[in-house]
Amino acid sequence: MNQRSWAGLALAAPALAIVVVFFAGPLAMSAILAFRGRDGGFTTAHFEKAFELYSTDLLFSAAIVVLSTAAIAVVAIAIAGYLTLGEHPRTQAILRWLYRWPLFIPFIVTAQVMRTFLAKNGMLNHVLIGGGLIDPLQAQSMLDWRGIVVAFVWKQAPFVTLLLAGAMAAIDRQHIEAARNLGAGRLRVLFEIVLPQARRTLMVGLVLSFVTMLSVLSVPMMINPNSPTMLTVDIAYRINSHGDYAVANALCLMSLALASVGAWFYVREAARKAERG
Amino acid sequence: MAQTPVAAPYLHADAVSVSYGATRVLDRVSLTVARGELVALLGSSGCGKTTLLRSIAGFVVPTEGRIVVDGRDITRLPPEARGTAMMFQSYALWPHMNVAANIGYGLRMRGKPRDEIAKRVGEMLRLLQLEGYGERTIGALSGGQKQRVALGRALAVDPSVLLLDEPMSNLDYRVRLELRHELRALQQRVGITAIYVTHDREEALTLADRIAVIDAGRIAQLGTPDEVFHRPVSPFVAGFMGADNAIDVVRSGDAWSWPASAGPGGARARAHFRADRARLAPPGTDGGRGTLAIDGTVGQRVYLGTQYRYRIHAGADDFWVEDAERREEGAPVRALVPPEALLVFPAAA
Repeated sequence: MNQRSWAGLALAAPALAIVVVFFAGPLAMSAILAFRGRDGGFTTAHFEKAFELYSTDLLFSAAIVVLSTAAIAVVAIAIAGYLTLGEHPRTQAILRWLYRWPLFIPFIVTAQVMRTFLAKNGMLNHVLIGGGLIDPLQAQSMLDWRGIVVAFVWKQAPFVTLLLAGAMAAIDRQHIEAARNLGAGRLRVLFEIVLPQARRTLMVGLVLSFVTMLSVLSVPMMINPNSPTMLTVDIAYRINSHGDYAVANALCLMSLALASVGAWFYVREAARKAERG
Repeated sequence: MAQTPVAAPYLHADAVSVSYGATRVLDRVSLTVARGELVALLGSSGCGKTTLLRSIAGFVVPTEGRIVVDGRDITRLPPEARGTAMMFQSYALWPHMNVAANIGYGLRMRGKPRDEIAKRVGEMLRLLQLEGYGERTIGALSGGQKQRVALGRALAVDPSVLLLDEPMSNLDYRVRLELRHELRALQQRVGITAIYVTHDREEALTLADRIAVIDAGRIAQLGTPDEVFHRPVSPFVAGFMGADNAIDVVRSGDAWSWPASAGPGGARARAHFRADRARLAPPGTDGGRGTLAIDGTVGQRVYLGTQYRYRIHAGADDFWVEDAERREEGAPVRALVPPEALLVFPAAA
């Protein structure tokens, strides 16, 4: 290795050390402990126990996050599409100002907001009853899987919208005009001209949201802590109530496997982007 | 404003005005275009020519006036309902579709069956000499090929009016020259009604049946290329069409003389002439009857290849003359402008 290479390595060393010590190290330790028995030997017992106790929650987590990701995509496309193709500047300005608010609200506050909004005696039911849309006896709590999905979408849709609207705004305006000029209505322009060109940005935003939602504890803990619930609640429960770090580590790795699906999409998109230069 | 009458108006923009906030971009512009005619909108940047084109396409809604195509008032119709097709300056080809999908998009929007679309796309590819390019991606095309694809996409839908927004401004000079003639031949062969926006005088003269010179949101002159070039109705049009040498002259008998201040007190005027219509001669040379003689010195020399372009200082006046003979800067010369090369306008108040 020549002198120049050493100098480059020395420059990168502090950043590399931080990544190894604070990220790779703990992750590797967690993985090792998930397979280490009381006697210090290799075991899959923690995974067997995790599957036995929490396989429903694993599926529940995957279903919640996939459903939320799909709903986020719909909301983000609708808002970003209107911001790009809408024809009422004032409405667009109001929407542009409003949709970003949840970006600045922490997940735990979002969860609390949803509790007061979606509970049986919450604001949503009050509005529905007041509007004569439902009978008071029909009012029901939505503080279950629906509440988690609503909270996730409410919190994450603005983030994806922000990325997507930026990507859509970067598209040459004449691309849109050319399609309209040839007879395409705005909906067709959105799905056939604008969205395909912003597809990669949408995908990246959704993958990042997917992984973020998998890691959120506060929302399922406050809205739907009872079984079936999300893996994050189970991990916290194993540690706080049982001091069972081994099963918690196994659950963490299961969670990581789910996130890896998203990461695979992200890396694939990044590689394609790099290929295009 | 001079306007050549059109026998059978197919497109009629009637007193169209467009304002962006307090700025009036088009001011009661009226334009008629006959079926199968190509009219060039010629003007400098910001004069309103593209705005007029976009008003016809439906991307800009006029604040006043109306636009009628083939007897149908399209002023308030959305762009997708107008039946016009626009070719954009950037071509605006969709990179996520291949060449065939780009060309066939308008037909798909019209609900044409798949085999009919494929047939028409094939015809367009043949017409534009792009056979075998249907499956290519847009990124794999050269500038000239992109221009052809954009033209094919616009022509494929058999539009009522073809609108071209500076379609050659992104091309190399040589490609532009070649495509200019191709485009004109194609437009005549297809017989389509077209409006062509450009700031390039030569392009307008080569391509158009008629030229509308636009200045500050108004049509300064509308006429055949010959009329606009040889008989400009205002100093602006004369300058824009290349007669950008302008000097004050005075009436002396049946001719014009220079300098205006030394004349016998006849009518004064502003004379425009083109640099290539004047010639340089030694001081004192008699140019013949009616020829305007201007004495000055060579201020600057620019080599053009086949000849030189000289900046001549003549008293308070400065103008350019093209001449084959090499002359040194500072040399005294007499510029001779034949009477038929003079475009004379009333002196500014």
